[in-house]
Amino acid sequence: MRIHDFRESYVHDEALWPTRVQRAWLVAVLVALAAFPLVGGGYLVGLMCVLGIHVIAAAGLNIMTGGAGLISLGHAAFMGVGCYTAAWLAQRGVPFVVTLPAAGLMAAALGVVVGLPSLRIKGLYLAVATLAMQFLLVYVFREWESVTGGVKGVNVPPASLFGLELNTDARMAWLIGGCAVVMLIGARNLFRTRVGRAFTAIRDKDISAEVLGIHLLHYKLMAFAIGAFYAGVAGALLGYFYRAMTPEYFTLQLSIFYLAAIIVGGLGSTLGTILGAVFMTLVPELLRGGVAFAAQWTPRATEILSPIQQVVFGLLIIGFLVFEPHGLVEVWRRIRRFFHLWPFRS
Amino acid sequence: MSEMEQDLRSPARRRLVGAGLGAAGLSALPLSAALAQGGDLVVGAAPPITGVFAFAGVGLHQGLGDYCEWRNANGGVAGRKLRYIGEDSGYKMDQAMSVFKKIMGAHQPPVFYGDSTAWAKAAAAEVSRLGTTITSSPSFASDLADPAKVPYYFMAGPTYLAMIEIQLEYINSQAKAGGKPAVAIVYSDTEFGRDPIAGAKKHAQKLGIPLVQEIVTKPGAVDVSAEVAKLRRARPDYVIFHGYVLAPIPEFMKQMREAGMNVTSMGTIWSMDKTTVDAMGAAGQGWMGVMPYRYSYDTAGARSMQAIKDFAAKARPQMSYVPLFYTHGWLVGSIFCETMERCLKAGQALTGPNMKAALESIRDWDTGGIMGKPVSLASHQIPMGRIYRYDAGSKLLQPASDWISMAT
Repeated sequence: MRIHDFRESYVHDEALWPTRVQRAWLVAVLVALAAFPLVGGGYLVGLMCVLGIHVIAAAGLNIMTGGAGLISLGHAAFMGVGCYTAAWLAQRGVPFVVTLPAAGLMAAALGVVVGLPSLRIKGLYLAVATLAMQFLLVYVFREWESVTGGVKGVNVPPASLFGLELNTDARMAWLIGGCAVVMLIGARNLFRTRVGRAFTAIRDKDISAEVLGIHLLHYKLMAFAIGAFYAGVAGALLGYFYRAMTPEYFTLQLSIFYLAAIIVGGLGSTLGTILGAVFMTLVPELLRGGVAFAAQWTPRATEILSPIQQVVFGLLIIGFLVFEPHGLVEVWRRIRRFFHLWPFRS
Repeated sequence: MSEMEQDLRSPARRRLVGAGLGAAGLSALPLSAALAQGGDLVVGAAPPITGVFAFAGVGLHQGLGDYCEWRNANGGVAGRKLRYIGEDSGYKMDQAMSVFKKIMGAHQPPVFYGDSTAWAKAAAAEVSRLGTTITSSPSFASDLADPAKVPYYFMAGPTYLAMIEIQLEYINSQAKAGGKPAVAIVYSDTEFGRDPIAGAKKHAQKLGIPLVQEIVTKPGAVDVSAEVAKLRRARPDYVIFHGYVLAPIPEFMKQMREAGMNVTSMGTIWSMDKTTVDAMGAAGQGWMGVMPYRYSYDTAGARSMQAIKDFAAKARPQMSYVPLFYTHGWLVGSIFCETMERCLKAGQALTGPNMKAALESIRDWDTGGIMGKPVSLASHQIPMGRIYRYDAGSKLLQPASDWISMAT
């Protein structure tokens, strides 16, 4: 039951984590995240790294699409820009503390270019425009061999901090986890600012937003830039994590993966971003774990059940969208409401 | 619900929960890895059982897994049993890396089979850092056959470049007094398709074969009429297709025939399975290409091919034809085992450097007829293959050349 939450001032009302219980949970989660690379096996820590990268990228798309209502099917390409920027700089000895923001800024700059059509078109038309950019950028990744290594891809030297090479999954998990936490707090804060509210106004009705004095050009491009910045940083981390990357990674399928993650998780919600990325990353792992479990007794289980697990995953997505169109975050909110009132109302 | 029903459900639930927790524990505990080091030899794999490469992935998985079973039934490796652990990669790099890390963490296998070029490149850094494992995959990308840069990777066949070179050698051998046959290359705009092109041009130049046309298409292109028109103007004697499995090859062949072109079409390994050529239908008549392995129906004097045929007939009675993917998986398994056996017989630990040395010591090695001549893995590839031609009458691919080896 939630008690002692009186909200007596605006500061308290606007606080990100207004109650002690929330703050305690936050600290517990952060401590658990920090400790996990020490106790988790290579597989789980590797999974945490991939999840962290997906969370950052999905957070960017959720700012763009969930926050400002600008649909993008080119998110994977922005990640690619970040990855290749980081790789190119890292190969020339630039430290990752510089390459990481540089990757984000390069992607943001391209995001501004991609966002220009958003002034004239929106909805599905904008989606098609960003789709065109997705194909265009993947073409550049394949053809610009001197920078991207062409179809053969690039190798990324390991990141290092104060002489310590981040060449293990555990070390990368701290880097990726730290970046994810900072960027999620940034995303959450964004929607409490004038910029975030302008995004919301544009998403709800851009003409009305303009009447209210919101400069559409400025804010729409800013939404694209911020979303692409997140994708660029995620792409750079991806490069540092795998240390090798080919253009075939940054496909339309990956862009759709992120779109599915924010829809399943909950549009416009930071927690929804996390839940959606967790769902899209971990559920296939769990299903595959089930297949591996069955294969201990039936060696043929892998070849029989592997195709079925994809069907089950697809059905799970459809099921969530049908029964909870507002995403997993709404399920979470219902659970929280239940415990806020418990035990007086069940 | 009656009390009796509840009583029945409760133990079942407990068993289920217990089994789940047990499985989670087993997969997480390093104890299993420790046991595996002293007991079974784990063969890890992330084959693409689903996804765009599933047409091959199922056969690769079956071939490698069945080889382990067959080998166990025939004494194992230096007296130790093999344990095959394969999980679907979906032909996605994230998933393949996840399976790789999972199996490496839980079982520390000395050998691992991945799913693609992208996986091999991404895993290379970690494999080198660990120094515990030799790897392979269905990728024949040229830059992976580099013992200096990718020391713990080998491919069970020639690189894509070596495949094209074998074709060019064959074409060169068909030259008549009038001059060398003209060749056109059609390839897909993918990493797979582009891989051998620069090297192929150099080799054609070296042999004096005129390369009269070079065409790039999308992997599954449908409308190829403009490309066929270009080929018609170029008048090649041979058209080499690379970077495809099926489409758009049948459409090319059909339109070239309709255009009255007298041309021989050739392909590389992944478009050479009998089922693939059967799917070309009438367009497949006269189809040729390079194959590093014998076809499964060609068992005369080839004990490994006979073993494949017998084992598949016993273990998979529903399988009417053993695809080349299965043969590839079987051969990878036998190379893994030969490498480990050489280490164990020399009293060496199964470490990456020891197994790399053992792999490179494989010279003049008899594959049991899977490949037609004794092979060497000193260069981490087997640059050998044979040209086959499809006979629409028998619906079989028949040898059109002897085995051709390329220098490395």
